[in-house]
Amino acid sequence: MSEHSARIERFWRDNQLFSALVELTYRCNLDCFFCYNDVGLAGTPLAFERYGELLEEMARLGVLHLTLSGGEPLAHPDFFRIGARARELGYVVRVKSNGHALRGALARRLRDEVDPYLIEVSLHGAVAATHDRQTRVPGSFERLLANLEGLRELGLRFQINSTLTAWNEAEFEGMYAIADRFAVRLQIDPEVTPRDDGSREPLSIAASREGLRRLFEFEAERSRTYAASQGGGAAREPAIVRQGDSIAPPSPRANGSGKFCGAGSSNVCIDPYGNVYPCVQWRRPVGNLHESTLAEIWATSRGLADVRELERQIARRLAGEESSLLGFCPGQAEIVTGDAAAIYPAAVVRRELLREVNRESAKRALLPVIRG
Amino acid sequence: MTTSERYRRASDVRYRILDGEAVVVRQRAAEVLGLDAAGSRILDLLDGERPLANVAATLAEEYEGDRETIAREVEAFVAELAAAGVVEPVEEGE
Repeated sequence: MSEHSARIERFWRDNQLFSALVELTYRCNLDCFFCYNDVGLAGTPLAFERYGELLEEMARLGVLHLTLSGGEPLAHPDFFRIGARARELGYVVRVKSNGHALRGALARRLRDEVDPYLIEVSLHGAVAATHDRQTRVPGSFERLLANLEGLRELGLRFQINSTLTAWNEAEFEGMYAIADRFAVRLQIDPEVTPRDDGSREPLSIAASREGLRRLFEFEAERSRTYAASQGGGAAREPAIVRQGDSIAPPSPRANGSGKFCGAGSSNVCIDPYGNVYPCVQWRRPVGNLHESTLAEIWATSRGLADVRELERQIARRLAGEESSLLGFCPGQAEIVTGDAAAIYPAAVVRRELLREVNRESAKRALLPVIRG
Repeated sequence: MTTSERYRRASDVRYRILDGEAVVVRQRAAEVLGLDAAGSRILDLLDGERPLANVAATLAEEYEGDRETIAREVEAFVAELAAAGVVEPVEEGE
């Protein structure tokens, strides 16, 4: 285990807040079919002054990693003031954007005023017909590719996020080719999730079992190829050149913290109306910033105390369950089954497929390598 | 390196001090470093304004030890930080 992984596990154990995801707005310039945001949620948006106080408070509490998300965060009228303040306060800022507006003067402002560590943009297919079908905005695919070229020219670091769906499951090789063209990481989430309001409509385009298997096989092959090119070292593609410990937190699995993951122990999520959640995927409100400070919520919320106890229970329950194969998420479990500790069907399918793929990989590793 | 030189944290460096230990991120390298309590204090003092002599004097007030030894250790540590790209020298007149 790296020194940084051990550090993060201590943070989980000691409830040391370290990462925050702030959803600035649910407004968006695209109209994605499977968007998980609860756009009907009511409440009073946090004002710029309150964001200023929150950023100062979180810095005092020890938060280093700050993700500005949405909706489309750039659609918030104070995005640049908030981002610039975050930079002044020394945050490692990530921006989760659909990438549609990231060009020209706006992209330059992002570099010069916010200086994000990373921009995470969304790609929904390898061709315009598939991507635009998801975004429901014609031309969005071509515009995104042009914008990514612009980001590269400006020296902005980015990665591509995607979700495997029935619509794009035949195109992930092409999506990897796009990422390779820009020499950036592509992260494909294999699961479509219900909306935060509980609607299961997005699940109607969940990827097929065969599509998932093909993705896992393809990614396993890429890892093998990369490991071989590195002389048999770590079977992981480099996101960006890494010389020391990776910034990425450890994978959720049995660990020294006694908790399954950092939700509500080291991570927090805040929606545009000040509602506080353990994590972006675990939409169980544990307080509101119109009523309390984050420090008060972090120290006294009974909801957070329950989440932390659940994290301990889940770690114990999944200790013998190959949880890294499950890709288990307590938030996903709660919204699908009503029980944050219940193993849900998509996780079981994932484990079955990964077991099969891993068995096949092990067999291939035993075959002699024939070089032509 | 001389005691009159000034150093500042590199523009891509972000950090927090938690329980006395600095967690330092170099954004361009996507790299995380950890510094112990004394190292964290030195990093915090390298604001581009204070000369190294001032940084060493502050450390000597806060830690037990011979002032000259502390000054040498501060210089050596700052040199390490500079080699790692965490801090950079401030040019005369800046």
